[in-house]
Amino acid sequence: MSSLDESLRRILAVDGVRSATLIDLATGMVVRSAGEELPALPSAAASLALEAQAADRVQGPLRPGGDLDEISLVTSERLLLTKVLDARRPGEGLLLFVDVDRARANPALATLRIGQAAPSVLA
Amino acid sequence: MTGPEPVSGPPVPDPVLRESLTSGAAVGLTGVLQVIGDPGGVIYLSGGEVIGVKTPGAPSLEVLVLKSGRVPDDGWDAAFSAAAAGTAMSAELVTRGLIGAGELEALLRMAVADALFVLACGYVDQCRPEPGPVSVLLPLDPPAPVGELLAEAERRMYVLAASPGLAGYQRARVSPAPGVVPAETVLGGGRDELLALANGRRTPRDLAFALGRGVYATTLELSRMHTDGLLVTTSHRAGPPLPAPARASATPAAPAPAASQKDGDPAPDSAGTGGLPARRRRGRHSESDAGADMSMLLRLLRPRSSGD
Repeated sequence: MSSLDESLRRILAVDGVRSATLIDLATGMVVRSAGEELPALPSAAASLALEAQAADRVQGPLRPGGDLDEISLVTSERLLLTKVLDARRPGEGLLLFVDVDRARANPALATLRIGQAAPSVLA
Repeated sequence: MTGPEPVSGPPVPDPVLRESLTSGAAVGLTGVLQVIGDPGGVIYLSGGEVIGVKTPGAPSLEVLVLKSGRVPDDGWDAAFSAAAAGTAMSAELVTRGLIGAGELEALLRMAVADALFVLACGYVDQCRPEPGPVSVLLPLDPPAPVGELLAEAERRMYVLAASPGLAGYQRARVSPAPGVVPAETVLGGGRDELLALANGRRTPRDLAFALGRGVYATTLELSRMHTDGLLVTTSHRAGPPLPAPARASATPAAPAPAASQKDGDPAPDSAGTGGLPARRRRGRHSESDAGADMSMLLRLLRPRSSGD
């Protein structure tokens, strides 16, 4: 098993997580994915990357509020969490996109657990 | 004589490349696929899936990690020397703490996708499968399915074709729009570095090599900057010579150019007028570059945020 598959499986082990996907922030490419297959994942990944870029730019070049850390989208059924990993240079980095089933998890606890496991994905 | 205009038709990967790759995948080819054209290159396959791509049109992983500062030069050299004794280069990089195993795999996947995108939207004269044992310094493990890489290349070509900015992006030489960005202005998002290096001689590919970024990501950002009025296209690099029709499928028009990309050096462009200056070893600037890029250095010395 590849390093990334192993890392993403650790994210899948968090209660309620349906899928975990690594996305290239600069290109929107799906680098690796694990768990349930999302419909139209490549186009969704490209949109997520654009969203992260837009959210980052909202702050302006000096970023008084610091670097973008995560984006949360909450629907009645899901928590869609996008964590920024490895953003060493502006406009570059990797995104960890996690799809959580709210019926099977406490969203706050899932966010905490995913946040704790996220840094080890690239280790 | 100039070659075919880039991306003048629908944004689809070159049909010769697509057919050769798909055929190789169908028969479970283990070996190399020599892609003869501009920029041309070599695709390494194992069991019909891609484990590596080498082309002078896109930065290798070595260029990406060294130019971006992810891995120090001396660390890479030490790992390379140790790997020459028989251990895997990837294992050397990881065990020396130079890069995480997951990060390395992610970067390799991104580099392979970028190189295949460059081949797919380039000019392909001929593809020549050569079955046999394959040796790649940093193989992709697990390999990437051909279908996924072609789909990703097509998606990228579609995005760029739909962008209003840079026309003929593979060969466009760009420079800052005169008087648009005052010297003290910080743009952020990596745009300052691109503006500093865009000297009217460099193409997106050249800028990608100079910064240690992917060609697609660089082109996309340049296209957005072009749309925002920050950049102008000064000229287009000449294309490859057109092959004679009778010889096109029988004899290679040129030796496989990927062989010239050694140690991550960008090869000179086929027209020889290049966006790129003299060959560089492992992405380091030459002395002549340093002089030519004085304006770049001055720009980079401007006050900026820590995030930039």
